[in-house]
Amino acid sequence: MALALENVSKHFGSLVAIRNLSLSFDVGSIYSIIGPNGAGKSTVVNMIAGSYSVTSGTIRLGATALNRLPKHRIAQLGVSRTYQNLRLFDGMTVLENLEVCFFPQSWLTFLTGAKRLSKAERLDICHACLAEFHLSDVADVLAGDLPYGRQKILELARAFVTQAPIVLLDEPAAGLNHTETKDMAAMIAGLKREDRAIILVEHDMDMVMSISDRIDVLNYGELLCSGTPDLVRTNERVQEAYLGTTEELDDIRKLAQSRRAQGGLRANAGIVRH
Amino acid sequence: MFDYFLQQLIFALAIGAIYGLIALGYTMVYGVMRLINFAHGEFFMLGPYIYTFLFSGLLGLGGLAPVLDSAIAIVASFVIVGLLGVAIERFAYRPLRAYGRLAPMLSALGMSIVLQSAVRVTVGPQPVHFPAIVESTPIDALGGMVTTVQLGILAAAVLLMVGLALFVNGTRLGIWIRAASESWTTSSLLGIRVNRAVSLVFFIGPGLGAMAGIMYASYYGIMQPTMGSVIGLKAFTAAILGGIGSIPGAMLGGFLLGAIEVFGTAFLPILSFGYIGTEYRDVFAFAVLILVLLFKPAGLLGETVSEETTVAKKDY
Amino acid sequence: MGNSVIVRRLGLLAVLALCVVLLALVPYLPSYYVRVADSILIYIILAVGLNLVVGYAGLLDLGFIAFYAVGAYAYALLASGQFDIHLPFIVVLFIGAAAGAIAGVLLGFPVLKLRGDYLAIVTLSFGEIIRIAINNADELTNGPQGIAGLDRASLFGLPLTSPVHFYWLLLVLTVIVCAGVYYMERSILGKAWRALREDQDVVRGLGINTTTLKLLAFALSAAIGGAGGVIFGAFQRFVSPESFTFQESLLVVLIIIIGGVGNIVGVIAGAVVLVILPEILHFAAQYRLLIYGVVLVTVIVLRPGGLVSPRFNLGFIIRKVRTLWLSPSKT
Repeated sequence: MALALENVSKHFGSLVAIRNLSLSFDVGSIYSIIGPNGAGKSTVVNMIAGSYSVTSGTIRLGATALNRLPKHRIAQLGVSRTYQNLRLFDGMTVLENLEVCFFPQSWLTFLTGAKRLSKAERLDICHACLAEFHLSDVADVLAGDLPYGRQKILELARAFVTQAPIVLLDEPAAGLNHTETKDMAAMIAGLKREDRAIILVEHDMDMVMSISDRIDVLNYGELLCSGTPDLVRTNERVQEAYLGTTEELDDIRKLAQSRRAQGGLRANAGIVRH
Repeated sequence: MFDYFLQQLIFALAIGAIYGLIALGYTMVYGVMRLINFAHGEFFMLGPYIYTFLFSGLLGLGGLAPVLDSAIAIVASFVIVGLLGVAIERFAYRPLRAYGRLAPMLSALGMSIVLQSAVRVTVGPQPVHFPAIVESTPIDALGGMVTTVQLGILAAAVLLMVGLALFVNGTRLGIWIRAASESWTTSSLLGIRVNRAVSLVFFIGPGLGAMAGIMYASYYGIMQPTMGSVIGLKAFTAAILGGIGSIPGAMLGGFLLGAIEVFGTAFLPILSFGYIGTEYRDVFAFAVLILVLLFKPAGLLGETVSEETTVAKKDY
Repeated sequence: MGNSVIVRRLGLLAVLALCVVLLALVPYLPSYYVRVADSILIYIILAVGLNLVVGYAGLLDLGFIAFYAVGAYAYALLASGQFDIHLPFIVVLFIGAAAGAIAGVLLGFPVLKLRGDYLAIVTLSFGEIIRIAINNADELTNGPQGIAGLDRASLFGLPLTSPVHFYWLLLVLTVIVCAGVYYMERSILGKAWRALREDQDVVRGLGINTTTLKLLAFALSAAIGGAGGVIFGAFQRFVSPESFTFQESLLVVLIIIIGGVGNIVGVIAGAVVLVILPEILHFAAQYRLLIYGVVLVTVIVLRPGGLVSPRFNLGFIIRKVRTLWLSPSKT
């Protein structure tokens, strides 16, 4: 199964967040989407998952066009995701956070029980998943009571528990410290499978470089370059996008100096106009 | 036909202005606290009672022209009801801020019972006469008949609304209120004393409600302890119609609801060949509300929850 | 150790026995007290039903009493001289529940995409529309006069006429409703509802159709409301629109909040308190409502999470009893 973006654009009002983007993701690999802040990385994830509508173009999973489908249908077709800022069900236990994923997906299954997992089967799968993610010891702890790092891992587990073929990870390392990030990278690398595509949006370059099979670099909503980590690392345009040209660096320095001269930002400037 | 229409229009504007003033209180409180203040209708009811009490007291003292007595009583009722609002927020709502949204709402319901029964116990449950502030004389305008009271209500309400708009948009305190409505956390980080903004809202909202109550009572010439319940509910509907949290929305919603009600009542029996009578007036108002929300889920001038803005995680 | 286990088991038995004896003694009290008990039980059923929507799914429904009215009028129309239709009580009970559920779905379908307060006001409007419609549809409902002289109910040949009869019926129904809701709470459906309350966007992202989920909560709670209405009609043998005002809807919401949202034990406690309080306050004559309001605000300010802690729920009690009975050493 493959996920493909065909000439996808996304406008927010007059702002063009994504312009004519075409990408394709096959199962069996880990992909990373990187780019400077505001490049449109998260927008891509949100469009695939159906949180954002697509202004033009098509997103296909296999032969099915995903855009225009409601969000829950997209998830049912096999796209699961994590969120940039943690969104667990804080008031429910770790185990329950996974169990919810197995709610019967249609009225028919719900009423007839056909294709529906029994409670024992459901629990078996969830417990196996918890063991895989080293969360078995906290199965009955409320998700909101876990330390941050383990909440991140729980969200990862929730994205993988249903064996979705397409998994979108929105900044899995955000807020983690150095060791935790390394563990997270190892964990994601270990989740690579023949029948699964993992698509990663991430800022941590070490992580991206170490686990990705292909990296897509976005800048201002357009594909700057795409290829193996080595290829991307040496690409001049990527360096430019990230670090800026020498003239731009000078400009930035000047601007910073003039700001400092003004005595910092005015505190009330931002809130007044609407 | 035209004079009938004009007469109905003035009536609609007057009643709509009253709804709008009450709706402002709902919407401002909702804006800063995300609270449906179910006690708000009672401030509306308290207005005319406090006014009458003060007015007759001042009149009894003598020494001033009745017009002056009346003016002092009006201003004083605004202040007293406003301070009552501040006190209620302080003691019945503020301790509950950390406990989600249902607890403060329940507290508001309780306060509504307290205020209404307090008035009932003090002055009795029966409707009483409200002393006229302006003598009601009919005026012939463009062939239709309007009364001075109607015009007075309209003028006063518009004056209050303009005043509020100027205050909220042009003064430092007003900007505090808007900032607090926009984001509680950010505002407090920026050094805005959010609690003061809240107190201010709980002063202005109930005060405006009291003014609306005085207008309503002078329109019908009577007042009673339960008068806040139904009107409060309708004004809340108006606030939602306009888009709750939006100040212009509350005004628009008020006038719109007034128009819907008045013209609905006037023309519904004609349109439905007498099958649906005027008794369905309230149904009509609510049905319009449901229809509006189906097509504009955030109300007419409400902040549209677009896909770009992060949506609130929890409803209740 | 053996001794303390025996003591604790005896203690447990004593508490259970006390509950049973108290419940069994109610019918021997004077009629007034039995009526109060009936009223408490009806409100428990209603509040447990509404709790599905408010407490579990996190949707504020302020028009719940409309479903109660639908049930009550179902009995009034189908078991009275109004149209000379005299269906048996049990049949109307099911019709009332079904009518409630249908009304719930009809209301829910268009409005459930609304969020929070908008949903609250639309349900509120719906409740008012139903009441006003009943008030004015004279040919059908006799308008404000209401319908009197409803059939005396009977169930499987047993008469349901006195408050004591209804006490037993309501007690059985309360147990059934509570058990059913408890079962649902623990099923995957209950978990999905709780997840919905926490973050509906994520729930959609898990492949769950949230509209269906909300609709289900709405329909089930409306069905319970409808069934409650049928019993109310059979009990009063008179229905009129003034029993179904907005204030009644609020009372049911109050019961839930004051007891502890989403907790059956809390709902029971809330119903007991809020039904008994006004009865106790009868002595205060015209000050009754004032005191009632003051008590209400005081309770909520002092215990904002509800009277009953969320941890003290039906599951907790059942676990406690079970461990004490089966493996007492663990406690």
